[in-house]
Amino acid sequence: MILIILLLGLGVGVLVGLLGIGGGVALVPAMVYLLHMDQHMAQGTSLFILLPPIGFGALREYWKQGQVDWHAGILCAIGMLVGAYGGSLVALPMNSQNLKGLFGSFLMVAALLLWRKSRRESNAAAKEQETARG
Amino acid sequence: MVEGIGRGAGILAAATVCGVASGMFGIGGGVLLVPLLGLLFAFSQHRAQGTSLIALIPPTGILALVAYAREGFVSWKTGLLLIPGVFLGGILGGMLAERIKPRAMREVFAGILFALGAWQAFSAWWH
Repeated sequence: MILIILLLGLGVGVLVGLLGIGGGVALVPAMVYLLHMDQHMAQGTSLFILLPPIGFGALREYWKQGQVDWHAGILCAIGMLVGAYGGSLVALPMNSQNLKGLFGSFLMVAALLLWRKSRRESNAAAKEQETARG
Repeated sequence: MVEGIGRGAGILAAATVCGVASGMFGIGGGVLLVPLLGLLFAFSQHRAQGTSLIALIPPTGILALVAYAREGFVSWKTGLLLIPGVFLGGILGGMLAERIKPRAMREVFAGILFALGAWQAFSAWWH
């Protein structure tokens, strides 16, 4: 069991570095299904895991390449600190079943946004190639 | 795109929305922040990812965590076991991201995310 948890952490970590995300979005369903946790418990534990700067190693790699906007990042951190507290006040009184369903719906929206962003970028790249050729 | 203060205020507002999702769903919020920075503020993918990682460095979820812990919704032991893996994996992923073109990877990830979300919503609301 402990080995599974350690490996799960490593897998999620690769996603953190690769996609620049916190990893909670993969951790929460993994804890619900693989470790059979309740939805609220999985979300609380995920917030705990995100507490230490687990993305620091990944951030260093991006920073070395000059791919970091500090100004925007700090603004984002402030917004998220406040927003997260508000969100937890909404989620805690909900029943676990509804929260799970809502979490699922959120994942679908996030997936669509991610996919759309990806599409737009490949379109832009294709257009650039065309202009270069023509 | 708006410049200066307007842009700053926009980013702050977008991040607050991501924060609400973060507290509601116990996630970092990066999954929403990365596409939003790109779509609304024209960040390149790598820059959006790097910037999202800064926002995750300070304990942005701490207020939400306290709220969950007060209700007894935190498994500290599992959390402690997951942390080292996530940290090491993060370095690995960061190095990989420079080497490969992550566009296809991202589309696969979006697909998995969508399926996972549909499954969760389905199992919660229809049985």
